[in-house]
Amino acid sequence: MMIPFFLILPLGNAFVTVLIAKADERLQDLFAIFTTLSLFIIALFTLMSVNAAPNHLLLYRTTGFLPPEGLALVVDGLSVFMLVTVNLVALFVAIYSSGYMKKYTDKWKFYALFFLMLAGINGVLVASDIFNLYVFMEIAAISAYFLVAFGTEADELEASFKYAIMGSVASCFILLGIAFLYAHTSTLNMAGIARAIAASGATRVLQLVSVLFLMGFGLKAALAPFHAWLAYAHSSAPAPVSAMLSGVLIKALGIYAIARIFFSIFGASVQICQILIALGVLSMIIGAVLAFGQTDIKRLFAYSTVSQIGYVVLALGVATPLAFLGALVHIFNHSISKSLLFLTSGSIERLMGTRQIDKISGVIRRAPATGYPALFSALSICGVPPMGGFWAKLIIIFACVQSGHPILALIAALVGVMTLAYYFKPMTCVLFDVGTDASIVMKKACIAINTAMVSLAVVVVIAPFILMPGIRKIFIDGAVAVLMNGTSYANIVFGAIR
Amino acid sequence: MITYFLCLVLFSIGLFCAVRKRNIIKIIIGIGIMEYAVNLFFILIGYRAQGRSPILARDQAITNIVDPLPQAVALTAIVIGLAVMLMLVALAIRIYERYGTFDITKINRLKE
Amino acid sequence: MIEINILLVFMIAAALIAVQVKDLLSSVIGIGAVGIGLSMAFLVMKAPDLAIMQLVVEILSLIILIRATIRKDLPFSTSGRWAFNTISTIIFLILFLVFAYLSFANIHTFGNPAIKTSQEYLSHVQGKAANLNIVESIMLRYRAVDTLGEASVLFAVVIGVLAIARRAWRRDGAE
Repeated sequence: MMIPFFLILPLGNAFVTVLIAKADERLQDLFAIFTTLSLFIIALFTLMSVNAAPNHLLLYRTTGFLPPEGLALVVDGLSVFMLVTVNLVALFVAIYSSGYMKKYTDKWKFYALFFLMLAGINGVLVASDIFNLYVFMEIAAISAYFLVAFGTEADELEASFKYAIMGSVASCFILLGIAFLYAHTSTLNMAGIARAIAASGATRVLQLVSVLFLMGFGLKAALAPFHAWLAYAHSSAPAPVSAMLSGVLIKALGIYAIARIFFSIFGASVQICQILIALGVLSMIIGAVLAFGQTDIKRLFAYSTVSQIGYVVLALGVATPLAFLGALVHIFNHSISKSLLFLTSGSIERLMGTRQIDKISGVIRRAPATGYPALFSALSICGVPPMGGFWAKLIIIFACVQSGHPILALIAALVGVMTLAYYFKPMTCVLFDVGTDASIVMKKACIAINTAMVSLAVVVVIAPFILMPGIRKIFIDGAVAVLMNGTSYANIVFGAIR
Repeated sequence: MITYFLCLVLFSIGLFCAVRKRNIIKIIIGIGIMEYAVNLFFILIGYRAQGRSPILARDQAITNIVDPLPQAVALTAIVIGLAVMLMLVALAIRIYERYGTFDITKINRLKE
Repeated sequence: MIEINILLVFMIAAALIAVQVKDLLSSVIGIGAVGIGLSMAFLVMKAPDLAIMQLVVEILSLIILIRATIRKDLPFSTSGRWAFNTISTIIFLILFLVFAYLSFANIHTFGNPAIKTSQEYLSHVQGKAANLNIVESIMLRYRAVDTLGEASVLFAVVIGVLAIARRAWRRDGAE
């Protein structure tokens, strides 16, 4: 079975990278690209297998024992959707960083931490046991803290430390929630917990655990009011790290965990959905307001991420099939577009030496391999038709109207207009020749960086095609079904065990 | 119940220290206290009155051991807690070399 | 049963000392006392593996914390929105404690766990007498993926500390 390779390949690559640390750098680059390419191909195979499997669920028994004594790795529609997204982004970030990280020493440490983070993220996506999810989340988080500080400049260390403090407090909350949950249900297997909660009904302990998990995972997902660390960490980190953090880590550790726990295990009650809607609206508005007037291009992107995550959580809270479709399309689209934006900003910084918006101009003319991808991904995030972001936001707005929340649809549309507004001026200044600054000295272009950016731009441009009926049935509908099924996740998993 | 409550009071003391103190080392100590409290809470959950430790004797029949699963969980959590402490202290030492102070209100070069 | 409560009170007192005292070295010794109290609590709760592990981890933490401390804590500052922040934190903590106390009604009383999953471990083990230490068999056989994750976390921390402790971090001009 292919599922354990999601963990074996990145962990193996991390260990092997340490062993060949003194070897030629190109060998390490080749290894990294080979591993991420294999992971992406395995993810595609798993997509096909899940659609062919009975009940759309794959189960792999580690150590030969069945749950609840043993641990199992479980892949269903939602997991495989996130796995394909994560490994796609990781492939292009690995190609990019083989060129970009040349300016740092000790590139092998970067690769080791990068693949440990990828192993952690994949582990979160295939875990079926809540403590297993916590352990893999910690692997990913600790690697991320170190990756943010990789340049060891003063502001990078400060950003990493603040991120580490807030993340560690959130992890303690999550662990306390797991303890209360074990006391209540006496099992750690997620399907078993779902069954026990369904039997016992809503109790005070469940409310306490919900609050603890919302605080903990909400901080990992950068939901307002826990969003403060995002601007520091994403703007100070090296560009490929920002791309992975903003595009992948937030979604896997935060949004996927919230969706899995609150929909598949607790069962989406009306109160939880209302809280999710409230937090989503808060994130959307705060992110958009704080993004106005930023002069550093990476901080602008970071606050924009907070706002877009708000869209996803809002759609999760609305909880109709159309809303889930919009949330998933938005997750896919935002992952690839925002990663591409961060990659292009790193390339701009490398070519022009600065990140201040008022000092950069004419990127499209001077460096088309950087400019055009940046243009396409910015258009996609702003929601300009016919790019993917437009369809995602349209579906979310329709879902809000259809489920009887017209005010939410209005807020979503308003924040969409604000998104266009705060992207418009910086991006036109940066991309087109508005200024007169001809004195910027350009460095030589790098093949790996340009290849990665252009390939990811192609993916961004063809992203709207995942809504076509054939592809949508394979890719997204399984994930929507998982979210709609809610607590029958438990029955499906127990059915696969027998 | 009083035992659980005292454990959560310990957790709250750690949380207060991690959130309100200015010195980085105090913040790290606060996070450490929080982790200790959560690990203790796991063990308290699994305790059985008049129970035995979960080590079997070859010739005796065992009927009342304490719950071994939270103990395994807490073992892993202790190691992860140690790893987090190592990381935070390493970051703190490097920050001291760059900024010259442990005061978190002065380590504020990243403006809004 | 009274021993665990006494130990908890001792740990709370040591934690309060660690939090409030001005001398950083005393603060680190305070958290050392909390750790030793925790180790004794693990012994009283019939978890000998954990007591040993906690002692080792405690000693390591103390060593690295002492390496990082300087002499004195910073003077107590009341600048900014100090009062508002502190009072809101205390209110949040009180709310959390009250709500947690109310939710204790739903979990079992201290000393009567509903052991479900572990019955299966017992039934597996009693037939073969393969490994007499149940906790060790859980960690190495049943939940081996957790142990793999724990080892990976330690690996990540070692690589990461090496990464941020390096002296030369950028190559100048090499493209």
